Amino acid sequence: MSVTRSPVEEVEHDRRVATVVLHAVGSSSEATPDSRNTGRERGWRRWAVPAALVGIAALALFLRVWQLDALGFNSDEAVYAGQAASLAGNPNYTPFFPVFRAHPMLFQTLLSPFFRTGEVDVAGRVVVATLGVATVLAVHLLGARLYGRRVGLVAALFVAVMPYHVIVTRQVLLDGPMVLFATLTLYCLVRFVQGQQVLWYVATGAMLGVTMLTKETSVVMAGGVYAFLALTPMVRRPVRLSVLAVAAMLAVFLTHPVSQALAGRSQTGKSYLVWQLFRRPNHSMGFYAETVPAAMGLLVVAAAVGGLWWLRRHRSWRETLLLSWIAAPVVFFQLWPVKGFQYLLPAAAPVAVLAARALTGMPVPERIRRLLRRADRPRDAGATRAVRAALVAVVALSLLVPSWNAVNRADNATFLAGSGGVPGGREAGRWLAANTPKGSVVLTLGPSMANIIQYYGHRRSYGLSVSPNPLRRNPAYEPLPNPDRWLRNNELQYVVWDSFSAGRSAFFAERLMVLTRRYHGRVVHTEYVDGTDRTGARVPVPVIIIYEVRP
Amino acid sequence: MTDPTPPRRRAGRLVARALLIAGLLALADPAAVAHAAPRAVPGPSPTTPIDHFVFLMQENHTFDNYFGTRPGVDGIPAGTCMPVRRGQAEPCVRPFHLGELGSLDLDHSAEAFRVQYHDGRMDGFVEGVSTQGKNGKLAMAYYDDRDLPYYWNIADEYVLFDRFFSSANSGSIRNHMYRVTGSPGATGPAESIPPGGWGDIPTIFDRLEAAGISWKFYVENYDPTITYRSRTSEEDVDRGAQVIWVPLLAYARYVDDPRLFGKIVDLDQYYEDAAKGQLPAVSFIAPAGDSEHPPGSVRAGQTLVRTLLTQLMRSPNWNSSAFLWSYDDWGGWYDHVPPPQVDRYGYGFRVPALLVSPYARRGYVDSTTLDFTSALKFIEVNWRLKPLAERDGKASTFLDAFDFDRPPRPAVFLGTERKPAVVTRPDPVPVYASYAITGSLVVALVGVAARRRRQWT
Repeated sequence: MSVTRSPVEEVEHDRRVATVVLHAVGSSSEATPDSRNTGRERGWRRWAVPAALVGIAALALFLRVWQLDALGFNSDEAVYAGQAASLAGNPNYTPFFPVFRAHPMLFQTLLSPFFRTGEVDVAGRVVVATLGVATVLAVHLLGARLYGRRVGLVAALFVAVMPYHVIVTRQVLLDGPMVLFATLTLYCLVRFVQGQQVLWYVATGAMLGVTMLTKETSVVMAGGVYAFLALTPMVRRPVRLSVLAVAAMLAVFLTHPVSQALAGRSQTGKSYLVWQLFRRPNHSMGFYAETVPAAMGLLVVAAAVGGLWWLRRHRSWRETLLLSWIAAPVVFFQLWPVKGFQYLLPAAAPVAVLAARALTGMPVPERIRRLLRRADRPRDAGATRAVRAALVAVVALSLLVPSWNAVNRADNATFLAGSGGVPGGREAGRWLAANTPKGSVVLTLGPSMANIIQYYGHRRSYGLSVSPNPLRRNPAYEPLPNPDRWLRNNELQYVVWDSFSAGRSAFFAERLMVLTRRYHGRVVHTEYVDGTDRTGARVPVPVIIIYEVRP
Repeated sequence: MTDPTPPRRRAGRLVARALLIAGLLALADPAAVAHAAPRAVPGPSPTTPIDHFVFLMQENHTFDNYFGTRPGVDGIPAGTCMPVRRGQAEPCVRPFHLGELGSLDLDHSAEAFRVQYHDGRMDGFVEGVSTQGKNGKLAMAYYDDRDLPYYWNIADEYVLFDRFFSSANSGSIRNHMYRVTGSPGATGPAESIPPGGWGDIPTIFDRLEAAGISWKFYVENYDPTITYRSRTSEEDVDRGAQVIWVPLLAYARYVDDPRLFGKIVDLDQYYEDAAKGQLPAVSFIAPAGDSEHPPGSVRAGQTLVRTLLTQLMRSPNWNSSAFLWSYDDWGGWYDHVPPPQVDRYGYGFRVPALLVSPYARRGYVDSTTLDFTSALKFIEVNWRLKPLAERDGKASTFLDAFDFDRPPRPAVFLGTERKPAVVTRPDPVPVYASYAITGSLVVALVGVAARRRRQWT
């Protein structure tokens, strides 16, 4: 069985020499048969790549903004948007959301100009969606730099339509912007390895610092850099330059504590770190295996893994780098007790690049090529390209369909943190804002709904399940040590039950209903989603119920 | 030029035209006519935007006892020191914060009033209590916003009356009778409910009934088996007080008429009526254990008032309601304002009174001389009813406490924190500046790296 050479094979990599000696991507492409094309073809190609990139970016943007407002914020979105609004001095949010909570403020600072007045949610999501599209373009840069433009385009297409990335970059979460900067960090590192310029090494450290300023947990990506350098001894990295790069990273990250200190706060981050270190696991060990591959696309993951196999003869530092970049967050967050759907998103870009590399360079069996080859052009490579293009299309379609379903699922009744908005949450909050006196205090089942109520309802809310034990709660949450007494003293006037929190904690759901019954709970509002009964008929399913209570 | 048509024919033509216009209107919009058809005989419409008036009577405190240290009111004068013995300046007791000290049920009989009032010299507050064998110094104790944060917050936001007197210079029975009849009820030297009840003394509820205006008397922990026929004197301080605080239960015609008796209901009904927007035009409320009657908890009383107001504020009736609460007598506590003596029975000393309404002036101190019959006067003015007695006929009312020129205020739940936690917003400038500087430096660094081609060796 013969195989067709991929562009990967055309990139030289001499593993025996001490330093990496590479042709620039541009020069390697000049050596391809493409360069022998006619001037007309060259002109067409010069416009084809940007045009394709614009098309991919447009598709990415469309998927990220389509029905962006169908669901309101989830708890984390409410918190980040609330922080941004508080930083901007929006009076609707300053009483409820402290500026400094757990994470650095780069993203919230970027958002805050959009949150100066009124209730804002779509604008925040549009900012994230835009950063998501920027990530798609960054993936193109990365793929093109590593394996050529074709791989860059295909990798960008995969990320553009990947449900994992689409879902997360439709939400006001730190992870979407963080992945943009993480991808740029990876790009800087590639430039350093390829060009051997000190400045790119320092820029890698600085960009990693920016990534950490978006979300401090991305410090684990430093582990990816370290693993790559340790596994690739031919890349020269004198200690003094490594120290310089690390110093750049730390200097950039210092912005967070310095700005916080200058603004008058210093303790928040420390308390949060202590809590994160000692909190109990929130998901099983199989959580990522169950959720992330499907969200990345099983065909994408299979292609990435398969490519490592069928292109094993062409293995280079590039795969080591991408695998190190994937392994760092996967290993860390698998071991870390706290798990979140979006935590492995930094792996999406290298997985997409690996998958693109695999599909654009995969061997096509002769039998299939023969079937597709035109009789009059026995040596035409078009058949191979057609097979690969078809495979790319199939994989892209396998991503597009679930993404399209995800962005159209306005009545999503699941409640996986980070996976989307909360049906009825915004509407319940707005109902409270419109129909309850100012100063009303609300008891919710958990802190997530409390955040949503505070964001949309502008009513002080407490989560019943927030532990009074400081070691067992997020320090940003305020516990209610004796909710029964609060209700008896008329300090709480409304109770909000929601099916999502109830599904996660039957104990607190029962406890909430005991209190509601004891204090003359009267249903004043219900939010429904469409569901189906046993016969399959569509029925409204209550997801959020607001009770009026009194002593 | 004169009109040649005779007047009778002209009137007939006018009537015919009116009928014709009405008929055409009916044809154009029969539904409107159907709606306009009388379904039930409505009561007279009120003269103000207040469609629902609620009047709660708590127990036994003076104005100075609750608000004497509040700035901007006629409170305890500086340098006050109450003689232990009337007429002797020394020794004397200065007003002091009661704080965690327990209170007592101080004597608040007609005799105690006489000693404390001392013909207008107002120097017998300590002696009036100590002669009953109790610690007279306690009369000079006061509460302030540490103990009554909710009431003080209400005063900040709504109306506080600082010349609101109890109607009678004696205890509960006469004062409660003034509240519903404008007269003392017990007219002899003894202050007690006659064995046969209050007989034919008219009440404000008689007037409301006659005018077809809805009313209810809500009673906390109501026990309908306790009436003037069943109560015993031993129960005066216990559940039998229900008959004193709900004088209708000492009227044969209210107890024996199921329709009228059915309008005296448990306080739970208030919450349901308010929630459904079905509060009657006039609601009277009598407390039980949450009355703040010493030595009862003032905080429990605050919670009751807060709960009642919370329910009213989230009621569909809020925009057309007014909630007044006061205290039936002074309870033996000190107050520095000599009460005008308008007749043999009163006034008594000042009592706290507050008004909450969407039309109430914000943070307003009303210094009109008022008493419990002022509430009757308000009802009579608002629903065009005849006075019940001389007192309510002459009483001032509190219409100045309202501002009907403005739209109703949206409800605001006030908390029990006197000084709400101040939200300190960190200075955003260092945050913006530091992130902007860092971002710019990193962009510059990457830019320079991208432009430099020289390899490091």
